[in-house]
Amino acid sequence: MEFALTQLAGFGGAFWDLITDPVAYVYIVVSVFLGIVFGALPGLTATLAVTILTGFFGNKIPLDYSLIALLGAYVGAIYGGSYPSILLNIPGTAASAATAMDGHPLAKAGRGAEALGLTTTASFIGTLIGTFALLIFVWLLLLISQSIASPEKALLALFGILLSGTLMSEDIVVKGWIAGLAGLAMAMVGLDPLLSEPRYTFGWSYLFSGFQVVPVLMGAFAVPQIIDGLRHMDMGQIISLKGRILPNLPVIRRHMPTIARSGVIGTGVGALPGVGEDVAGWVSYGVGKSVSSDGKNFGKGSMEGLLSSETANNACIGGALIPLLVLGIPGSPPAAALMGAFKLNNIIPGPTIDPAIILRVVAIMVLASFTMFLMGLFTARIFIQILRIPQTVFLPVVMVLTTIGSFSVGGGINDLYLMLGVGAVAYFMNLMKYPIAPLVIGVILGGLFDETFRRSLLLSDGDLSVFVSRPGAAILLTLNIALTLSQAPVVKRGFAKIRGT
Amino acid sequence: MNDDEKAVLRARDFWGGLCLLVTSLFFLWKTSAIPLFGENRAGVRGADWYNSAAIVPLGIWTAMLVLSLILLAIAVRDGGARRAMTAAGIGWDRTEAIRIATIAVILVFYIFAMVPRIDFIICSGCLITALIFGYHGGHVDRMLTAAGAFVLGGLYPLIMHFPQSEWNSPHDDDWVVLGVWVALTLWALIKGRGRVARAMPWIAVIVPLVLVCAMAFGFRQNVPNRGGLIFSQIEYHYYVNIRPLWRN
Repeated sequence: MEFALTQLAGFGGAFWDLITDPVAYVYIVVSVFLGIVFGALPGLTATLAVTILTGFFGNKIPLDYSLIALLGAYVGAIYGGSYPSILLNIPGTAASAATAMDGHPLAKAGRGAEALGLTTTASFIGTLIGTFALLIFVWLLLLISQSIASPEKALLALFGILLSGTLMSEDIVVKGWIAGLAGLAMAMVGLDPLLSEPRYTFGWSYLFSGFQVVPVLMGAFAVPQIIDGLRHMDMGQIISLKGRILPNLPVIRRHMPTIARSGVIGTGVGALPGVGEDVAGWVSYGVGKSVSSDGKNFGKGSMEGLLSSETANNACIGGALIPLLVLGIPGSPPAAALMGAFKLNNIIPGPTIDPAIILRVVAIMVLASFTMFLMGLFTARIFIQILRIPQTVFLPVVMVLTTIGSFSVGGGINDLYLMLGVGAVAYFMNLMKYPIAPLVIGVILGGLFDETFRRSLLLSDGDLSVFVSRPGAAILLTLNIALTLSQAPVVKRGFAKIRGT
Repeated sequence: MNDDEKAVLRARDFWGGLCLLVTSLFFLWKTSAIPLFGENRAGVRGADWYNSAAIVPLGIWTAMLVLSLILLAIAVRDGGARRAMTAAGIGWDRTEAIRIATIAVILVFYIFAMVPRIDFIICSGCLITALIFGYHGGHVDRMLTAAGAFVLGGLYPLIMHFPQSEWNSPHDDDWVVLGVWVALTLWALIKGRGRVARAMPWIAVIVPLVLVCAMAFGFRQNVPNRGGLIFSQIEYHYYVNIRPLWRN
């Protein structure tokens, strides 16, 4: 209890500093607005919002403001995806795909305004639940992480890549693992971290410093989106809103158990390395369907169904920041972009992170969720107008944004070549249903894996038992092996038989 | 995913698996150039195997090789190999192929030919115009026209000013691309008079102009082709005429 009070007092100080800084409001309002716009426009994603803003704000303004801009956009974009899901039946982001299942039938039944109002409230409460978990659990995990050494770090990085590959695969799981390995392989380019031995540089001096994170992020997330989105699309009719968006307090109170349950699920899924808001939304939706008394109406316009997915995807944000801040392992694709911003500012998330940064992140999250809540309730009709902009008009603008953002990060024109190359690979990966998130997670964690794996072997003089003799390492190794074996057809058939009997 | 989509995907997976197999073998061969067992380099003994820079890449590419074989096996088992040789098998769609090819050509010329050599406002304005005109509405003839015009504009700087020493000046290539941009805009306005067509020139001018000025003067960052036709003038007037207004 005393521990929680200390954390709350620390948070209070950081929050006070934030709300008494007038410049912070400019950044938070602009970034949350931009985030909602990015989320609301089908074809743009939360990851893209954070990635593009990293190019602009990553290292060009003080870190505090940079974090405000990126976290504000992250919170706004995850929420913004609900607009087209409800009003057009087109998910604005992958995270809000489950939202469309019930949101659109509700809108068609003339309850669009009510659905939007409750979605806004649920997203707000969900973000706060995730943020509260971040405030409490990040410190507990930080204490544990102090005893983590190189073997555990290497196995944890590998687990993050494998888990992301396993859970994010739309098709067969092998593709997720290939994507993760491709990311790891990309991280091997350049001078190696221990001996400065050049690897796969092909005599090009630019590659000596390895692949830069921002151009890789831009290439992986923006370019395929632009290529794929530049097509004629019939957006359908936007359902007009009737009634008030502001939700009733008794209605919110009635749905509070669903919101709380989904918030906890979202936070938990977010805390898994490399698993994003879309998985959180679907998991929560699935759980809601099986436990809710209204489960049979899920998919037909159930308010419970809508709240299950929308609360979870926003709660996932706080959860995704836990492994990022404690272990340096992003919990979701947008968190991977956030990691890029940390790297640009020479901040290494992990056990050695400055605690003031964590408190600042929590304070920003709270302010961002309040801003999102107010914007969602009082300016929703502006965002609905934005839905009318065709993607063939805004995607060319995104291409220009991506180009100048990537160029200005530091590597100049070479970064643009890298961005386009990665973009081409990512496009074909998308086409063949390979998930992109494990690739990016692999690029980000590859350096950590390489360095810690080899350092472990170096300290043990090549004795591989270092990965089983330490309890933490043994547990993580078991998890890695179990995760891999669980996907083997023989094991899957065995589980199916057990379930059948 | 329905059965047809799955069949197309497996045919693509067959080719994807083959590509991965070749890539894995190539990089395994490249990895063999990194000292693994403590070879001597200029009289200095290299690292032990467990500290070698090759150990992790070796593991990655070996795993990739194994996974590519698994992918190939899955593709062959599901009939992907049988369908892989036919256009229908891999889901070939002529219109879609033209769309992707023209976008690829435009992006390649934009990044490789124009951004380094042409004023950012001009080349980005031209890009926005080409993409909106070419792809709004989904007309194949417009895609080809947009890509053709863009390639025409991009070929000149690429051929005439290929070396890096000629990227900033002279400005003849800027004028050529500006001409292509104006011509494409006029053509777009002749072909369509809808809301999007009317808004297009404004978006094409305002977006790159605002972005480049914000980046250069707001964030004080480097921007592509500082010596470009328009930006060099903006920068000159900013520092000589505008900035002194508040600096003094």
